[in-house]
Amino acid sequence: MLILWIVASGLLISLTASKRLLSLGLTLALSIIFLVLAVWGLWGGGSAFLAGPYLALTPVRAWFLLVLGVVSTMSSWYRFGYRQHDETATAFWLPLFMVSMVGVITAQTVWIFMTAWEVMAITSFFLVVAHHDRPGVVKAGYIYLVMSQVSAIAILSGLLLMASAVHSMHFGVWAADARYLPLGVKSWIFGLLGLGFAVKSGIIPFHVWLPRAHPVAPAPVSSLMSGAMIKLGVFGVVQFLLIDLGPTNVIWSVMLLVMGAVSSLLGVLYALMEHDLKRLLAYHSIENIGIIFLGLGVMALGIDWHRPFLMVVGLVASLFHTLNHAIFKSQLFLAAGAVEQHTGTLDAELLGGLIRSMPGIAVGFLMGSMAISALPPFNGFISEWVTFRGLLSIAGGSTGLWAVFGLGMAMVLALTGALAGMCFVKASGVIFLGQPRQPVSHRVIPRSMTWPILGLAVVSLALGVFPSPMVHVIASLAPALRAHAAATPLPLQATVVALALVVVAAVAALLARVWDVREAPRWNCGREVDAAMQFTSSSFTKAVRTTFAVIYRPHRNLTRLGTQSQDFPERLSYHGGTTPTWERYLYRPGYRLAWTISRYSTRMQAGSVRLYLTYLLATIGLMLLFVH
Amino acid sequence: MLWGVQIVGVVLAIGLAPFFMGIAQTVKARRQGRRGPSVLQGYWVLAKTWHKETTAPEFSSWIFRLAPSMSLAALILIVASIPWSGSVPSVWPHNLLVVFFLLALERFWVGLAGMDSAGTFGGLGASRVTTLGTGIEPAMLAAFGLLWALSGHTDIQPLAPELARRSLGALPWGLAALSYVFVLLAEAGRIPVDNPDTHLELTMMHEATVLEYSGRFLAQSQIAVAVKFTAVIALGWVWLGPQLASPWANLGLRLIELSVSSAALGWVESRFVKLRYFQLPAYLAMAAGVGMLALYLVVSGGLN
Repeated sequence: MLILWIVASGLLISLTASKRLLSLGLTLALSIIFLVLAVWGLWGGGSAFLAGPYLALTPVRAWFLLVLGVVSTMSSWYRFGYRQHDETATAFWLPLFMVSMVGVITAQTVWIFMTAWEVMAITSFFLVVAHHDRPGVVKAGYIYLVMSQVSAIAILSGLLLMASAVHSMHFGVWAADARYLPLGVKSWIFGLLGLGFAVKSGIIPFHVWLPRAHPVAPAPVSSLMSGAMIKLGVFGVVQFLLIDLGPTNVIWSVMLLVMGAVSSLLGVLYALMEHDLKRLLAYHSIENIGIIFLGLGVMALGIDWHRPFLMVVGLVASLFHTLNHAIFKSQLFLAAGAVEQHTGTLDAELLGGLIRSMPGIAVGFLMGSMAISALPPFNGFISEWVTFRGLLSIAGGSTGLWAVFGLGMAMVLALTGALAGMCFVKASGVIFLGQPRQPVSHRVIPRSMTWPILGLAVVSLALGVFPSPMVHVIASLAPALRAHAAATPLPLQATVVALALVVVAAVAALLARVWDVREAPRWNCGREVDAAMQFTSSSFTKAVRTTFAVIYRPHRNLTRLGTQSQDFPERLSYHGGTTPTWERYLYRPGYRLAWTISRYSTRMQAGSVRLYLTYLLATIGLMLLFVH
Repeated sequence: MLWGVQIVGVVLAIGLAPFFMGIAQTVKARRQGRRGPSVLQGYWVLAKTWHKETTAPEFSSWIFRLAPSMSLAALILIVASIPWSGSVPSVWPHNLLVVFFLLALERFWVGLAGMDSAGTFGGLGASRVTTLGTGIEPAMLAAFGLLWALSGHTDIQPLAPELARRSLGALPWGLAALSYVFVLLAEAGRIPVDNPDTHLELTMMHEATVLEYSGRFLAQSQIAVAVKFTAVIALGWVWLGPQLASPWANLGLRLIELSVSSAALGWVESRFVKLRYFQLPAYLAMAAGVGMLALYLVVSGGLN
């Protein structure tokens, strides 16, 4: 009942949209209530207040509510300083969006789950198109809506199939009975639900909506979508496919691993080529969802092979990375929003040296960059370490090709991590360091935008230095695994590593007297240096573009301008880019096919009422013929 | 006892790092028909550099000033994770994956410093170093492939006894060692991947990121290069080399191995030329392939 009241109050907050401060304050309060509820759910899992026939909060669900609570609290706080031109619409849709996500997490029946899922899709569509007067925004929102519906259809079919197989619409019954279903039914359910949740999570090749929808939304919305909403796909996989279904065909576990590997590698490769900061971050969401899916795959293999160690490591890896990614990704998205508000642009090629005009945001972005690159002592390091541990356990405890497969997956993850590190050296370096590339406006950033970003940075640092409590919480989430939870070794000594790093670095900095330095001009072989001589986002990644040319299919166009342009060009015009492979070779044919079919269907559907009446009559006639 | 040997080992490894580099340089000079500088030249250069004036380029921020300390700290922590006595106290970090992440941390800060120097060279070096890192990290994971497969965990500590117990054939051991040597040359920035002696912008990688550094910062970066050289060699010997029962003897053995390996590397370096930058992905892919082959030979059961 308690959850029902909270959901109802969320609906009321939407009505205060026209009063800015009231609405912001109430949204923040609602987010904090989510957080409290999540902690309560994790602490005393079986509390009677949290269970009900329609909505209930089990420990696994409470974990995802925690993810939502952290992101929504910080994003709501950030909105006090964030200015956009149409705030009323966002203020109206945002509480509904948040409440619908709570509905998805706590739903106990198919009906409530699907209603909340669709409300979530529609409210987030309206949030994405908040800046609908800018070019391309409505198209991005439309693509997002279409993909959401594809996902919803797949999920609905999967859920209904499960409901008819178990003979119940109630998720409580599923938890008890679903594992005894025959393997064939399980495979169908896995395929349909897996497809639906993969689309919603942005797994490649179903990712096309994500790098379009996330960047055009206002920063707090991007942060909520990237931090919390796409994680609900992960929630679906964990709850329905792994915990409820239990062992399935090992093919599906391999599928999860391969989807994770492909998404993480391609996601980061595409991110490297971006110079729009928010698009870059959106591609990194795909990468991190891939890493989470690698963890899920490890867990699934553990379930199939009855190896509790793999199960626990996979669960810890995926769920911990879910929380960690939510933290550092919303931190980075909020920082990107601050950059946009500060300078009016997100194009890295125009920026530079922002560390001097916005030092707080720069520190926040830098810490987020270290966390997402899985560097110690931040939280991403811990969860990627656990993921590596799981993948290498596949390599270690298996024979023949399985061992090579496990090692190969771990190598993909290592490549992904290294590319992510490179991408964030690029992003922080080009945007925050060096000399400004173009003169841009410098609007002052209010404190209420800086503090949430730094707050998230502190949380991510704290989770990286003291990971053990969280790891133990996750390991005891799934009831079936509770017996093995104590067996999870974490011989990481993260706290010692962090302390030693800080102490040694501090001593080294003191010895080097970092404050006693003279500023001198830069060396450039004796020539005058200007800002254009610095490396840009595109030149930084040139070697990667060449090495992975098979994936990028880069093209460039260099034109010499001026009279006698061939030998003495006055100016050069350079245009380069990469080929959007998935869009061109997978989606464009599908899109054309849909158009062709609909063109043929106009012969049947010409808009004439008399024709439609004839169809109606014919249908009834046919029905009478067959049913009779 | 363990703590004592470990602390002495770490101090010696860091303190002797310029000496090991000096051995490699001397062997190289002799192979080129030169007499070469003294093996202690590294120490004189460091002392001279440390007392020079320290400058930072215009437009640089605190990142530039802090980066040498951060990367040096990460490398010192790697040296500290190596069990110099054969085993380390259990509360002390000794995880091989953590070592990988620390190497990534070092690379990240070197890259940031390059970008912060606001010039062409810094960006060039940052781009090259991080691009190379994307090849090194998976290749290093593969070079240790044998180890994951046999031991089933990721600690550095009990590796060598574990490997000895399984009594590998010479072939997988040799392949794993070969793969690791390939990766080591790349990670330590030696020929055929990077040329530590060059100052020509077309050929340098790591050198470009530290071009703007001077004085104490430059000295820190040079110490970091030497420490990295020592750390990656020692890391190879810990799991591929023999282990002695006595902790002190083990430490002594490591130091001898380090000297011999440095000389051997100097010899190898003078036999090869630097590869083209765009051939490096193939080089590292080969290293990874050899590592995976070693793993497959063992797990496929053909050798057991």
